[in-house]
Amino acid sequence: MTEAAQSLIDALALGGLYALIAVGVALIYTVMGMMNFAQGEFIMLPAYTLYVLAGLPFAVAIGAALVTGIAIAVLAERVAFRPVRNADLSAQLVTSLAVATILQNVVSASVDARAQSVATPALLSESSQVGSLSVPNLEILTLALTVIVLGGLGWLLYRTRIGLEMRAAAENFEMARLLGVRANRVIAIAFAISGALAAAVGVLIVMQTGQVSPTMGLTPVLVGFIAVVIGGFGRISGAVVGGLVLGVLSSLLGTYLPDGLVPFRDAIVFSLPVAILIVRPQGLLGAATGEARI
Amino acid sequence: MNGRRLRSPASAAISLVVPLVLVALTAVVGASGTPSFEGTVTLILCNLVIVLGLQVFIGNSGVYSFGQLGLAAGGGYVAALLTIPAAFTALQAPDLPKLIADAQLGPVPSTLIAAAACGLLALVVGWPLMRTSTLAIPISTFAFLIVVYNVLANWDPVTGGSSGLISIPRTTDVTSAGLWAGAAVVVALAFKWSASGYRLQATREDEVAARSIGIGLMRERLLAFTISGMLCGVGGALAVHQSGVLSPTTFYFAASVTTITMLVVGGARSVFGAVIGTVAVATVNELLRNVEEGAHVLGPFSLGETPGLAAIGLGLILLVTMIALPEGLSRGREAGELEPIRRRLRLRAPATSPATAADQPRPRSARGSSGGLRAEGVSLAFSGLQVLRGVDLELPPGEALGLIGPNGAGKTTLVNVLSGFQTPDSGSVLLDGVDATGWSPARLARAGLGRTFQAALPFAGLTVIESVAVGAMGVGVGRRRAVGAAADVLERLGLGEQAQSPAGLQPPGNQRLLGIARALATGPRHLLLDEPAAGLNDEERRELVAILRGVIEDFGCAILLIEHDMNVVMDLCSRVQVLDDGETVVVGSPEEVQAHPAVVEAYLGTSYAAGAHA
Repeated sequence: MTEAAQSLIDALALGGLYALIAVGVALIYTVMGMMNFAQGEFIMLPAYTLYVLAGLPFAVAIGAALVTGIAIAVLAERVAFRPVRNADLSAQLVTSLAVATILQNVVSASVDARAQSVATPALLSESSQVGSLSVPNLEILTLALTVIVLGGLGWLLYRTRIGLEMRAAAENFEMARLLGVRANRVIAIAFAISGALAAAVGVLIVMQTGQVSPTMGLTPVLVGFIAVVIGGFGRISGAVVGGLVLGVLSSLLGTYLPDGLVPFRDAIVFSLPVAILIVRPQGLLGAATGEARI
Repeated sequence: MNGRRLRSPASAAISLVVPLVLVALTAVVGASGTPSFEGTVTLILCNLVIVLGLQVFIGNSGVYSFGQLGLAAGGGYVAALLTIPAAFTALQAPDLPKLIADAQLGPVPSTLIAAAACGLLALVVGWPLMRTSTLAIPISTFAFLIVVYNVLANWDPVTGGSSGLISIPRTTDVTSAGLWAGAAVVVALAFKWSASGYRLQATREDEVAARSIGIGLMRERLLAFTISGMLCGVGGALAVHQSGVLSPTTFYFAASVTTITMLVVGGARSVFGAVIGTVAVATVNELLRNVEEGAHVLGPFSLGETPGLAAIGLGLILLVTMIALPEGLSRGREAGELEPIRRRLRLRAPATSPATAADQPRPRSARGSSGGLRAEGVSLAFSGLQVLRGVDLELPPGEALGLIGPNGAGKTTLVNVLSGFQTPDSGSVLLDGVDATGWSPARLARAGLGRTFQAALPFAGLTVIESVAVGAMGVGVGRRRAVGAAADVLERLGLGEQAQSPAGLQPPGNQRLLGIARALATGPRHLLLDEPAAGLNDEERRELVAILRGVIEDFGCAILLIEHDMNVVMDLCSRVQVLDDGETVVVGSPEEVQAHPAVVEAYLGTSYAAGAHA
């Protein structure tokens, strides 16, 4: 019983992390119609900020990581993605692939292509006693952050003017523009939020693994893509569900798979969603029309 | 006789020979250098085979796949394990089945087996992957790439795990790589110019229009994915036999980026583009690597890992290409289609002579039909909004029926139901007496139902004659007869002179006619036209009516016409059905309908004041 509850909390924590990743991907997809490969690098660069600023107080480093995430996302939008805003999905995807490659290799060339270790606060590697369970503090932090961030995002999208503009842009970009929504501003803000989400994910991953590497964003971005696809394209709520499903699945497989198959966990986790797509090409929550909705 | 071909023989020959010459030149340059330079060029030629594999799928379908490198990895491992001497295999992969472990094949058989294995893998994997949507394929294929990597890196007793395999015989030299690359050029061009290749290109240009002419999206994608997989398998096999080593990262993400950059820089839609893109990007890449290594010696070109400067350069090249030159260096054209060559060929081309009626293959409409097209009690609602309320419609063979009514009456939705783009909530569609409710648009098209759309939906990247011929190919007519049918239809519509020009550059009136021509090329017995006269001037309208009358009389084809211009409707249609708010108001002869009070009200505008349609 206890063991089951323990693995459930592990699963939820990973699901929460994946949901945060997926929301960052989904936000850009809904507002701009772009699947952004560079989201992985929006995660990786803030993680490197922690590495570079090792020695400074951790709160300062985290603040800097957040700024890095926002800055790189906004910059990438301005320099690379705005010129291809009206191109088709494939062209945008390849453009983001180019951005991802550049950012990855700038880090490879300037730091190192190999993984580097980062010291994390001792507090986070300890556990707290919750009832009869001993829950790692990091999982508590992840879960809390997931709830706070998703709640905040919900508030932003449904209770503020800019949120309304974003939802309008997601429904019908041209119409929204005609009605006075400033496209550049809305898209820039969507990227800023997405960058902040990615920074949070990057920090959590560093605390979990204690290391950074130039390619650390690759698996997360795939997780985000798949979560968005199985959640139904272009639905923020779908992305949350997709991320949770993927994280819980991955975590439970890690616990319950026979030993011989554990190394192949990723292969299984990434194969199953394709099965979902064959049964429901529009995803779990997707409307049959496949149009973007927040 | 240019009008009866998809391209002139000279243009075709140039398109084939130029890339082959480029491959041969690359090989010759490689062979004349130092052994290390020769090795580098050999590996570039191996890459070219993979890039051509990418071209077959990505170029023709317009959908990006990241899974192709996973297939190349498969080819590499199969070829390596089949050729490594048994003693070394036992050390590196102890659990490998004895049959494979003991095998020590030569380069050609192992490459062919790798191609077959990868083709099979692509077929098995592609069957589910190609079922996912256009949006999801890049992602599901990316997932496949990671799955392949995960399996290769962790299945130690069979694949050697993350440390990979060594002692692979180095049998690929610049000559064999050049020959394989030349063969890949031929395969890629042959596919692009086949009926199947055209059907796939049509889906790239417009998915909806492609379905309306009988094209099965998944089937065409799966075929290309399989052929592409075989080429990638060959490329992977050749590459490992050049380098002698193989690890799970050899054909992974970095290699995906490299090969996709090569394809995109050259121009994904053309085989010529794949060749020049590969050569150009590989050259720049090598130069950057030399800068990086302090210009020592030409290091061996490695597909898998291009860290640092060279990879940044690669990313920048890709980024600049996407922003400034999205169609690539070739502009998506084959060598024989480039503008200077096109101009020269045109000067020398004999005047196009209209084909004599006798040798023209007819569209398939001559065969007897019975029953016509019927809708019975069709109802459909979109999220609560009732668009159709039990509509009946009957289109007997050879008749022209006008479908009119105010905006929002449900006319287009009814056509969508009849052509399979919407499934009705209740009611049925009968095609020649057979219940066709719920059939896919492609199946209905193959059963003799053609349609056009309110928007022209041109196959902009194809030429005029290609974009019409693909209509016939879509319903399964062979390439030769399809071209004949297309030339015939184009002559009939007065577009014969435009046959070789790009469809996307035609004026709007012609694009509309092309939509009709494309539907006619499928040889329909029932043709549904959604506002064909919209945007045409008076003269063009009169011509259109004459053309449509000819279609009915010569082919015995029935026409359902949605049209706002009452003159066109009255000129052409023997019966008119009026739809309003999802219900039939009246069906009858044009005169009866014109006299009907509800129609008078709607068309004379008295309802505006009353707000009856709100």
